[in-house]
Amino acid sequence: MFAKVLGTAFIMAGFGGWGLLGARRIEKRVEQIKNVRLAMGFLEKEITYMHTPLSRALERTAKFCKPPVSHLFRESADRLKAKNGSTACEAWMSGIKVIGKTSELKRSDIEILTAIAPQLGMSDAGEQRKIFTLIQEELRIQEESALQEMESGRKLWSYGGFILGALVVILLL
Amino acid sequence: MSELSGRWIKDQIIPYLSPALKNILFELKEEYYSILEEIRLRCGKPLILKLGNKDYTVDCRGRVIEDLKKGYQVNREDIYRTVASISDSSLYAFEEEIRRGFITVPGGYRVGLAGQIVMQGDEIKTITDFSGICFRVAREIKDCAKPLVPYIYSSGTILNTLIISPPRCGKTTILRDLARIFSTGVHRSHSVNVVVVDERSEIAGSFRGIPQLDVGPRTDVLDSCPKAAGMIMAIRALSPQLIITDEIGRREDVEAILECVNAGVSVISSIHARDLNELEKRPLFGELLRTGAFRIGVVISRREGPGTLEEIIRWD
Repeated sequence: MFAKVLGTAFIMAGFGGWGLLGARRIEKRVEQIKNVRLAMGFLEKEITYMHTPLSRALERTAKFCKPPVSHLFRESADRLKAKNGSTACEAWMSGIKVIGKTSELKRSDIEILTAIAPQLGMSDAGEQRKIFTLIQEELRIQEESALQEMESGRKLWSYGGFILGALVVILLL
Repeated sequence: MSELSGRWIKDQIIPYLSPALKNILFELKEEYYSILEEIRLRCGKPLILKLGNKDYTVDCRGRVIEDLKKGYQVNREDIYRTVASISDSSLYAFEEEIRRGFITVPGGYRVGLAGQIVMQGDEIKTITDFSGICFRVAREIKDCAKPLVPYIYSSGTILNTLIISPPRCGKTTILRDLARIFSTGVHRSHSVNVVVVDERSEIAGSFRGIPQLDVGPRTDVLDSCPKAAGMIMAIRALSPQLIITDEIGRREDVEAILECVNAGVSVISSIHARDLNELEKRPLFGELLRTGAFRIGVVISRREGPGTLEEIIRWD
């Protein structure tokens, strides 16, 4: 009897925890999209108002934001500073690879960030402003849709985990 | 004129080129760099090096050859990567420089740009779709102007001097050295405050406002500043005893020189002409010479290499 109770508790805790983690992942994605958007605003100001060279602007943006979003800017800055012939586009793409692995961002979020790569730094301040305004707007839309997803998904994941756990327990009993 | 170390030039310029060009030019012997004047990249055309007076190209194995057809063909990627490298992938930070058609990189090297010009009204807004890049090696040859000093500096006064020569004869190098000599002091106690009005960033080779070439300890540089406005601003704000500027050519430049001369400030400038006869035929400058603003004329050529002194003219 004791073993059954213990087993039930383990299964419920396991599935419940898994569900809660899933819910947290959805929440984190919203938070990270927001952080990326704010970081883009910071980078835009460094570029268009301060005219800071890109490697330094990326480095300062990395300091401005929290991990894992900061990894994108840190990796790009390091790659550019290495002066090994990399273009801004290649440096940015290497940063995107890192954030793709370390964050909860989805493919559609990453695609928005990828779109900026060929134009990054390679036009005048006016053009750069337009590009950054556009990407921030796209990130805002993405953030809203992620927020809606979170509203419905969070409950589904948090309750879903426990329900699934209970189902498994019933089946096993 | 003596020459800069080839290794120095190699180390200063090579890092700015695309990786493919870097690999090719890295193999080049240092002796070629010591006589290197220009590197020209044109999209779809052979890489050209101006060594002394002659154009050469380099093949894929890094050998210097005369037959341009056999040279390494520069492609769009070479141009894109080189522009990215010289601008630190930050074209927005060089808007003003690009509008003027060149970027000065650390070391004072001027990189000329060609491409699609974008106009805004009557003015150039920017250059896009770069198609050509020209690296000009800035020659800092100390004491190259020393033989001129006894003519220009007489009984404690710097005489207003006009350096006359066609392009690429070493005018700018001589002006830079004169700035250094008079700023440091001809004799121990005869140093003066010098202002260099450097409209094209060639005399002092400034990078982000800081002179990269030696123009002396008492020299202020007005970088990228129109000559006429710069000369007047210098008199008002920097109390110079000597103003040095390059390539006068417009009426307002002439008027500003007269303003300086009549304010008791010495002026050393340069102008494009083969000799005095050619210069006198230009109405504006014939008029300037007749005002007696300049006391000394120095004609230089490339006959025996850049900076060959052809003639010293006295107008007093």
